[in-house]
Parts: sequence; C-alpha cells; structure tokens
Amino acid sequence: MISRREQALDYAILLVFSAVALYPVAGILLTALSPPGAGATFGIPESIELGNFRTAWSQGHFASYLRSSAIVAVAVVAVSSVLSIMSGYAFGLMRFRGATALFYLFLLGLMVPEEAMIVPLYFDLRDLSLTDTYWALILPQVGLSVAFGTFWMRAFFLSTPRSIVEAARIDGARAWTTLWRVLVPYGRPAILTMMVLVFMWTWNEFLLALVMVSSENLRTAPLGLAFFQGQHTSDLALLAAGAVIVAAPVVVLYVFLQRHFIRGMLTGAVKA
Amino acid sequence: MASVGFERATKRFGDTVAVSELSLEVADGEFMVLVGPSGSGKTTVLRLLAGLEALSDGHIRIGGRLVDTVAPRERDIAMVFQDYALYPQMSVRENLAFGLRIRKLGRDEIDRRVGEAAAALGLESLLHRKPRQLSGGQRQRVALGRALVREPQVFLMDEPLSNLDAKLRAQTRAEIKALQRRVGTTTVYVTHDQVEAMTMGDRIAVMRDGVLEQVGDPDTVYEHPANTFVGGFIGSPAMSLVPFSATRTGDALELVHGEVRLHLPANGDVPRELVLGVRPEHALLWGREAGLAGPLEGRVDFVESLGRETFIGVQAAEGARFVVEAEGHVRAEVGDPVRFGIRPGRLHVFDAETERAVARL
Repeated sequence: MISRREQALDYAILLVFSAVALYPVAGILLTALSPPGAGATFGIPESIELGNFRTAWSQGHFASYLRSSAIVAVAVVAVSSVLSIMSGYAFGLMRFRGATALFYLFLLGLMVPEEAMIVPLYFDLRDLSLTDTYWALILPQVGLSVAFGTFWMRAFFLSTPRSIVEAARIDGARAWTTLWRVLVPYGRPAILTMMVLVFMWTWNEFLLALVMVSSENLRTAPLGLAFFQGQHTSDLALLAAGAVIVAAPVVVLYVFLQRHFIRGMLTGAVKA
Repeated sequence: MASVGFERATKRFGDTVAVSELSLEVADGEFMVLVGPSGSGKTTVLRLLAGLEALSDGHIRIGGRLVDTVAPRERDIAMVFQDYALYPQMSVRENLAFGLRIRKLGRDEIDRRVGEAAAALGLESLLHRKPRQLSGGQRQRVALGRALVREPQVFLMDEPLSNLDAKLRAQTRAEIKALQRRVGTTTVYVTHDQVEAMTMGDRIAVMRDGVLEQVGDPDTVYEHPANTFVGGFIGSPAMSLVPFSATRTGDALELVHGEVRLHLPANGDVPRELVLGVRPEHALLWGREAGLAGPLEGRVDFVESLGRETFIGVQAAEGARFVVEAEGHVRAEVGDPVRFGIRPGRLHVFDAETERAVARL
C-alpha cells in the first residue's frame, strides 16, 4: 500500500515523463493535420486537414515505398526469427564444444556498428551482383538481426524451467520436437517481442537502403521519406503527413502486440 | 514392468563426487524410496536412472538391459518432477497425451489411456484447463497422470509431494501408494522426508554424501539402523545419540558420560567408547513403567506437545540430551528438573569411532 500523497506524486512524475515523450509526436501529428503551407505547430489547428495525407501519399509514391519496406521487413523478421530461435536454443540448452567462443562471435555482430561494415559489404554484394535488389537489403539485415535474436532467445531459453525440457525428453521428444512443440508455444511473448523489435529496426533502417539500392521501386519507406523531404522542404504539413505514414505501420503493430510485448520484456526479469 | 539395477554407479561433477559406487537392486514391481538430507545424492541417482545425467562410472540396468548410454526417451520410464514440469501452454488433456502422440499411438488408444488416467486421478472435469488454472494438488495429479498414461516400465518420482500442504501431502501419499499397488509398476521415489519414506516404501535406501548407508524395509531400518546417521535420520523425533564410556563388571555394564551414570545388564560385547541410541518411545518419565534403567536426571530443554503425546527434550549433561516421550499432555517448563528412565533391551549401541551399529542393550 502507498499513501495518497505518494500516489499523486507518482502520477505527477509519470505525467511529466509522458509529456516529454509525447511532445514531439504530438507536434508531428498536429502539424500533419494543419492546413497545407502552415508552419510547425503544437497547438490545435484551426481546421483538421486530412488532405495532407492524400497529397503526400500520391506525390511521395509512398505506396511503392511501403510495399518495399513490407517485403524487406517481413522477410527479415521471418527468416531471422526462425534462425534466432534455433541458435538461441542451441546456445541456451545444448552442450557442445566451443559454445562459448561461438556465442561471443555472435555477440560481435551486436557490437560492430553497421557503419563500419557498410562499405566492404557494398563491394561484396556488388561482386555477387546483388546490389540494387531486395537481397541487398534482406541478407545483411538478417545477419544483424540474428546476432541480436540469438542473444535474446538464448536468454529466454536459459530462463525456462529445465524440468519442462527434461519432461519432454522423457516423454520421448527429440530436440527438434521439444523446441517447436513445447518451448516455442511457451515462449510466444518473448518471440513476439523479438519480432516486433526486429521489425521496427528493419523498418526504420536507412543507411543500408541508401547505399544498396538506387532504383526507385526498391526504395524503402524511410529512404523514400528522405527523398520526399528533399522535394518538399517548405511544406511542413506535407512532410509531417509523410512521416506519419512511414511511422504508422510500426505503431499499429506495436499496439496490436503490446500485451505480449510487455510480457516478453518482463520474461526473465520476474519468474513466472 | 522391470527390475532396476545399479552396479557401482558413480557420478562426479568436476571434483565433487555426487554419487559414489552405488550398488542397489530394485525388484520388479517394488516401491523403492531413496531418502536422505539435501545434498545426499538421491536426486542425482534418479537423474542417472532417467538418463538426464551421464554416468561417470559403473552401470545401470532396467529390466536386465544395460542403459548406460541409452537416451531418456528410449528407457521406457516416466518421471514426476518436483515442480511438476507441466507444459504451460497445453491443456490437461494435451499434457497427458503429449508423450503418447510423440510415440505415435493411435487416437483411440490415446483417448482410452487419457480417459483411464483421468478417471483414476479424478481429473475428468479438468481436462480442458491449462496448468495455470489448477491448484497445486491438481497439478500434482496431472503430473502423476502424465506418468501413468505412458504405462512405462519404471516410475521415477522426484519429491512429488514437497510443494503440497501437510494435509494434502498425507492424503496424496496414500493415493500414490495405492495407485502403485494397483498398477504394479516398479517405482523409484526420492524424498528428504523420512515420514514419506517410512509410510510409502516397500524398502527404503538411506543416502548420505553420495553414499548408500542402508537399504531395507522400513521396520528393519527403523529397528536396526546400520549406523548413527541412519539412526538419527529415520524416526521423528530423532533418536537421541549420546556418547558414553563403558565399563564392564561381571554381568553389569556401567555407562558414564560426565555426571550421567547408567547401569545396564551386559549382553554381548560392547566397545569401550560407544554411542548410545535411544528412541523417544524408549525414554520415559521415571515411575511410569517398571523395569526402566535409571533414573537419569536433567533439565527440560524443550517441550513439544502433540496432544496425544508430549516430547520433552532433557539435557542430562553437556552433550547428553535425551528426548523423552510422555503420554497425553504434560505440563513442563524449560529449565524444570526431570527424572526419567530408559528401557533396557531397546537401546542401540554404535561404535564411537566407526559409528556403526555393534549391539543392542
């Protein structure tokens, strides 16, 4: 139990932090809803203008950009999730020679910044004739995501009660069956959280798309937004509408999965 | 069903010896209880038998078949875990059926077995529930059911009652024992609770520090403990163990511990330095029974009144504490003087050096 005063104070602090976090978001949203040509605003606009979204959508070719982003993000999330679950299981629950050294190698993928890899990566992919294709966006991001995914899933598998795995072994399940029929359904919150995070990072990836693709039909949403900004530097309302369009899918996904997301974030921190 | 045999089975974790040269035979259909304090290696023995740990040395046989390197799934065993280890996302029915599905049994056979186990354990109305929607006792029954449906050669149970409250534990104890009698499956049961061991086991195996100290039926282990450890571990309240120096004069034996002197008839040889083991039921308040040896005097150290009987801890001298049993409720305060006697013929004599049982007095 906490006192009323303490409760009021808690709410006050939370409100302040919420305001700090929401201020820029509200600014973008309100600007996007203001009449075309209006400057940035943080007040309620005189009239709500949805036309900005329509204009941005058609002028900015966002349909094409969002399609590219969706193809890349879904492919990266699907492939890296399957690989991360399997490698996380191996590192978390199997004993094999060199496990620790190999795991550190995986961690390297988390630590080396993308900027350090991008130039050699570009030349490698060009040699393979993969630049300016979806592969140039999907393959490197699968690689980067698996480093994180392995780290994440290993932590999850280490936190599962060992007796469940042993019960499955005694019940007759091999590693493959134990993983996919017992542990994966059990670990759904952790897996969904990993998928949301990977989706978000892939969706927002900018540098890789900038370096690897030149065709307009392969441009992803953040890259498309950058080009859009270049063309409409003065119309803030239109720019804001474009930004909202690009950010919306991640927000929608998060809203749908937030219950699992929060549970997944807590897995391991609090024993179920 | 099958017999189980350990031949000099040894398990080392690095430099630590968890199980040392265990040799033990469990007969077909027998209920064997492994009992010992925590860290005694009993759970490791069970895990070795399950195949969840690899042997460092020695052999294990199930039904005469050497299983040293056989995978758990091929040992034809079923195990009940201390935390039940139910699959959280599966319903009770799916939990029970999982092992059967893996073994590709027919749908009709799975339904029949799940139905029978559910009926035997009173789980019929819970089949659609998830483990998190069950009480501790219900989860425990599902864990039992999961072992039962498999119809394995051996049941392994790792402290399956330790998470239940006292009343439910007593009830489930009887149920497990009855169930095992009915199906007749060889069972190896691990517990640290000597009451469980005494009430459930056809035989009990007492372990300490990875070593098997004694195997026998509960009465034998209780009446003829092989050493001071078994004497002190089996029985509640514990046997009083008091070191004495013995002097023999003709047919009489004088035992001395500080100011405590005890005269007993001598039958057989006893070592000069011995440990006398006295069960509480053989130490009585002075005057309650004729023919007691004593009287011994001391001060009350603790009083445990259970209603039907009272146990009084009596400090007779430094390092000489006896637990005395009295019928009904006895009023006594800590520090009160007490006179008591012990029953000749029911006392255990252990060699003070080797701690092994050497005689009865």
